[in-house]
Amino acid sequence: MNQSFYGLLLWIFLVAPPVANFMESVMVIHMHMQMPMLVISGMLMARFFQKRFSGFFEKWNSNGVPGITLFVVIMIYWMLPRTMDEALTTPLVEGFKFISLPFLAGFSLRDSWKKLNPFGKNSIIVSFTVLFLGLGWLYIWSPVQLCNNYLVIQQVTLGWGFLTTAIGMVVYLGYNFFIDPSAYE
Amino acid sequence: MEADLKAGFKDKTNKMLGYHPEDAKLSKSYIAVAFMALLVGGFLGLIQGLNRAGLLELPTWFNYYQVLTAHGLLLILVLTAFFTIGYFYAALSHNLGGILPKVRRLAWTGFYVKLVGFVLAVIPILMNEASVMYTFYPPMAAHPVFYIGLALIVVGVWLCCIGAFIQVANWRKNHKGQHVPILSYFATGVFVLLFFALMFVAVEVLFMIIPWVFGWVDTINVMVARTLFWAFGHTLVNIWYLTAVSAWYVVVPKIIGGKRWSDLLTRVVVIALVIMNITGGFHHQIIDPGINAVVKFMHVFMSLAIGFPSLMTAFALFAVFERTARRKGGKGLIGWWKKMPWGDVRFLAPFIAMLSFIPAGAGGIAQSTNQLDQVVHNTMWIVGHFHLTLGMSVVMTFFGISYWLVPFISNRVLTPQINRLGVIQTWIWTVGMIFMAGAMHYVGLLGSPRRTSYTTYGDHATALGWDPYLMCLAVGGTLLIIGVILQVYAVFNLMFFAPKGETEFPIAEEEDNATKTPYITERWGIWIVVMIIVVAMAYVIPLTEFIVNAPPGSPPFKTW
Repeated sequence: MNQSFYGLLLWIFLVAPPVANFMESVMVIHMHMQMPMLVISGMLMARFFQKRFSGFFEKWNSNGVPGITLFVVIMIYWMLPRTMDEALTTPLVEGFKFISLPFLAGFSLRDSWKKLNPFGKNSIIVSFTVLFLGLGWLYIWSPVQLCNNYLVIQQVTLGWGFLTTAIGMVVYLGYNFFIDPSAYE
Repeated sequence: MEADLKAGFKDKTNKMLGYHPEDAKLSKSYIAVAFMALLVGGFLGLIQGLNRAGLLELPTWFNYYQVLTAHGLLLILVLTAFFTIGYFYAALSHNLGGILPKVRRLAWTGFYVKLVGFVLAVIPILMNEASVMYTFYPPMAAHPVFYIGLALIVVGVWLCCIGAFIQVANWRKNHKGQHVPILSYFATGVFVLLFFALMFVAVEVLFMIIPWVFGWVDTINVMVARTLFWAFGHTLVNIWYLTAVSAWYVVVPKIIGGKRWSDLLTRVVVIALVIMNITGGFHHQIIDPGINAVVKFMHVFMSLAIGFPSLMTAFALFAVFERTARRKGGKGLIGWWKKMPWGDVRFLAPFIAMLSFIPAGAGGIAQSTNQLDQVVHNTMWIVGHFHLTLGMSVVMTFFGISYWLVPFISNRVLTPQINRLGVIQTWIWTVGMIFMAGAMHYVGLLGSPRRTSYTTYGDHATALGWDPYLMCLAVGGTLLIIGVILQVYAVFNLMFFAPKGETEFPIAEEEDNATKTPYITERWGIWIVVMIIVVAMAYVIPLTEFIVNAPPGSPPFKTW
């Protein structure tokens, strides 16, 4: 019983139709709970493959940059309103969501994060903070419905979800900036 | 010369015991206020119980709802807040080599700001201008001064939180790589929770209630206000609980002569309670309208999640009891129970408190379930549950703490007489609570409503059927006031009259073969970010809904 197994269990749970249907029925749960949990399931499963194919990860992701780039590409793809809509209407796209988030984004995040230097880590968090603020602004003040499958109120809720998550990340960045762990550890 | 030597010797013993006279004075003031509040609040509770049983007619100038509000304010806000802060500041002082002068100044400022706020809040209650029962619960509206007073209490508590953060950060800077001592770790968790929970109520009071009661705006969004209130209110309940738990984990094992159970588990429990607490606020609104079923369903999980660390606590504590008793020669499946120090009030009171948390916690789980809560929600059951959790699990632990904390900060000792008095007090309190909270639970199931003074509803048969239980409630209340008097007597005796001497601050050590706790538990920055994100998960959906699809706002109501 190791973390990869738990990751697999989590992934199976998330893919199970009743769970998937429920999570996709609320926009903010779809985007801010299901998708991150898929990434987390991938991060847990990654350990198994890291051990089994260490050469592969060493060869293609030695400094973490290719991996984190893949992670960013996948994440940004899933932040387009259009893609989330399609995941609900086209089974193929939904399938791609269940594959890409854990096995492309989750794997590469797990393998890359420790390899990045502090500047790289902070840059990633800063970019996502800016992106989240922008998306929050877009979803809250957009004059039109951006996803056909969700009501405007759900869109606004998602916008606030983005903003509060961004606030969480700003707090973290501030903590990192002001607090020098070496003074304590 | 001799005086100098004597003084030097005294300083040295103080240092050995981790006793700092100036910090002790601070804690003593906080604890004294807490127990004075207990005395007054206790009498108000008695009056209320007697009225509720139909034994006492209250005059029109001092009615049931006034008494209820004052009883709640004194015991919920003053007793618990002052005790918690006094206790944890004593722990910070003892653990971290004395409170920094600037932190002490902050805590004293907080003390006076809170007292002023409290006086401001009481005046409108006495004038029957603030019989709102729930302190910040629109659409009931009190006199503006009441809210200004409460806002000052909030500011005072914030000052104490900031003081504690400065104290802990300073210690960590000077003790690189070390874990914050466990009781100070609990203090950190409690102050983090207090700091963030108070933000919700500050937003509610400053931006919603004050403009509304002054008449600057006509209406208030009731759903938003109540949600903000409970995000604070529920967390506050768990802050008291976490304070009690700190004594269970750290102090009780020492008193029974045992070792502390896993340091890592203890710290994980603190972190888990900090992260998951604020989200629990929603289950208080489980039968409020305007929240859709999906959100309520989600919140069942969020509420029950808090039960998990409690179960870990139960496991850890009973493991400590059994290990310790067996080490002392206890045998058999239950025979080891005989080895526990039943005659020591410092153990007995927190132990009964822990036991009472079993039915109290089970009742809480029942109430966080939609269908079950439908049955009991607006009945005396809830009052019973509250008295079982706060009045028994938490307050009895506080009583148990007072038997060593008060002598410690007063440089006196616990005498056998006061210990015996404490044991008697514990049993009186236990029986009183069983009668009172038990009757409340049962009569609640029969439908007797809460927040209502005595009525027979025109001699309706059902309402008359409640009377025997209400009488039980009055009997319990009477026993409890005896308990209050004994307890307050014991505390002030230990504070001013008990024989001088040194008392130890009981902190259990870790097990010999304890595994090393990972340093990640000290990364409060990360846990706070996780907490913010979890809080966002809980509150973004409903709050957006309440604001965007707002119901018609409500004008202020005065129902009394």
